[in-house]
Amino acid sequence: MLNSEVFLDIGLNHYLIVAALLFSMGMAGVLLRRNVIVILMSIELMLNAVNLTLIAFGKFTNNVDGQIMVFFVMTIAAAEAAVGLSIAVTIFKKFREVNIRFFEHLKG
Amino acid sequence: MTPDIFLFWLLTIVTLGGGLAVILMTNPIYSALALVFTMVGIASFFITLGAYFIAGVQLIVYAGAVMVLFVMVLMLFDLKTEIAAFTRGLFTGALKIFSVGVMGGLIVGAIMMSAGSLDENIAKVNPEIEASMSPDAPTKLLGQALFSRHIFGFEALGVLLLVIAVGTVALSRSRGGTHAKQ
Repeated sequence: MLNSEVFLDIGLNHYLIVAALLFSMGMAGVLLRRNVIVILMSIELMLNAVNLTLIAFGKFTNNVDGQIMVFFVMTIAAAEAAVGLSIAVTIFKKFREVNIRFFEHLKG
Repeated sequence: MTPDIFLFWLLTIVTLGGGLAVILMTNPIYSALALVFTMVGIASFFITLGAYFIAGVQLIVYAGAVMVLFVMVLMLFDLKTEIAAFTRGLFTGALKIFSVGVMGGLIVGAIMMSAGSLDENIAKVNPEIEASMSPDAPTKLLGQALFSRHIFGFEALGVLLLVIAVGTVALSRSRGGTHAKQ
């Protein structure tokens, strides 16, 4: 029987574990899915998990630098989504499908 | 059970359920919808952690701009049925799930093992956040840090965004724009 303190006393570890589980889900999505767009969504999932970790550490150490790093990560993530989606559009233009197995035929 | 604790567990369920739905739904539109749930859940987590400005940015950038981008590209493709949504091969699939489980377990285990030492080593780096009671104090500190110590990174991000904008336009307008070849 688990101690009920674990469920009632929310600390840094709770946020870290939620972020770790979310990151694992994103990793599973990248490894298992074949659709390029869903893979990009899974990458967004992983970036969000990292952001949650940074904000949680910043809160529990009373430090504002974590939030600045999250700010940068968000900007990079938006840029990455734009480039990734335009590559997905290129794959679709050539092969009428967005499966990741066409990725290697994009050369030239 | 106080509202704080209830909110944490509710947001945990919304966020992790959304994350699970993203990778399990075979229709990409449903994945996008589940991703919106996750983004809003994460933004609410940021509010519970006192990062109000970042929560607003999260809602605008992710739940707004990035999701609209995803859904628009999905609509452009008109994917009614998806063949082979998941990876082929039972063995490699099992191996991938196993490796993800091992990694998740290792991270959670490491967090649990270091539970005590984390709490002890936390120093009061910036006590003025706690000291001031006004709700915009964290945002003010964030702005001061961003435009003084991290100004170079901020400017570099501006240049990067310009490069990305030009590159995206160049990539997507080559050979017939967004219209697929028949």
